[in-house]
Amino acid sequence: MQKELSDIELIKQVLAGHQSAYADLVKRHQRYVFTLAIRFVKNRENAEEVAQDCFVKAYKALGSFQQQSKFSTWLYTIVYTTSMTFLRKKKLNTYSIDDDAVFMEVKNQTEFKTDQTEQKSQTFYINLAISKLLPDDAAIMTLFYQGEQSLEEIAAVMEMETNTVKVKLHRARHRLKEKLESLLKEEVRELL
Amino acid sequence: MNEIEEKLWNYIDGFCTEEEQKTISQRIEKDENYRRKYAELLAFQENINAIDLEEPSMGFTFKVMENIRSEQARVPLKTHINHRIIGVIAAFFIFSILLLLGYIFANISWSHAVAIKLPQINLPAVNSYLNPVVIKGFLFFDVVLGLFFLDHYFRKWFFEKK
Repeated sequence: MQKELSDIELIKQVLAGHQSAYADLVKRHQRYVFTLAIRFVKNRENAEEVAQDCFVKAYKALGSFQQQSKFSTWLYTIVYTTSMTFLRKKKLNTYSIDDDAVFMEVKNQTEFKTDQTEQKSQTFYINLAISKLLPDDAAIMTLFYQGEQSLEEIAAVMEMETNTVKVKLHRARHRLKEKLESLLKEEVRELL
Repeated sequence: MNEIEEKLWNYIDGFCTEEEQKTISQRIEKDENYRRKYAELLAFQENINAIDLEEPSMGFTFKVMENIRSEQARVPLKTHINHRIIGVIAAFFIFSILLLLGYIFANISWSHAVAIKLPQINLPAVNSYLNPVVIKGFLFFDVVLGLFFLDHYFRKWFFEKK
């Protein structure tokens, strides 16, 4: 069985001129990058555009990757800055990313699978609740739980203090719980 | 968010000190309120961990690689510098200069050391080649070259302005 190459080994191959090795890197990280982009831009089509842009940018800047952090952390930094630039350009419900009082509404709910059985699942409601969080909160949750990034790594990605990330993580979880409870209440009301 | 919840999250995430960890685990054992909240948070965390990552479209990797290829094709020629070619050109000129210097030094008469005299170099008679047709041709080439660079400059200026 062929041994799976590490990110660093793949990067070395890309820098040596083997472009196909980059396709393996993309395949490995595309779901994380795409999920993170969705958390920011709240729309599948835009998220795909942002995610593609991130990988192209990462390819161009691969030579400048110092290997002082994980490749994923470096990549998520690109996702963060690209998403922020995208939001600024599109002027999608402009808000301050530090303003915790502002909540972004999900306009396009159709992006979630509307399968009846899945609607009933907890995962569906958690996804829905996450999509109703502030982009920053949703991104921190994704980086911490799905991206398996430490507080320090998240702080580096989002250009924040580690303590700020810690506080934001606590708040994000609390808000997620609130959102989830309100969504489930609505569901119960609809059923009655 | 209440204090118990915050402490418990720190405990679950492993953000607290050893001492705090001991205190909280003792409280979880003894205090019913703590135990209930801890179980609730653990269940909540399990649910978050169970969330699947979003899947991009089927041809995502292909599209990224295509974008990279098209970006590379768009890179202007001036950024594709072949250093080997530059090296060969430099070597040619250095060799020519050294050859010329060697020729000059070989033809200098070093016997008259009293007064510094310029070496007598027998250059070919250039005047015979400088007839009016050659001069006109040279000037015409200069004008064309000048117009070419002027056009290049205006194009660059126009696009930057745009």
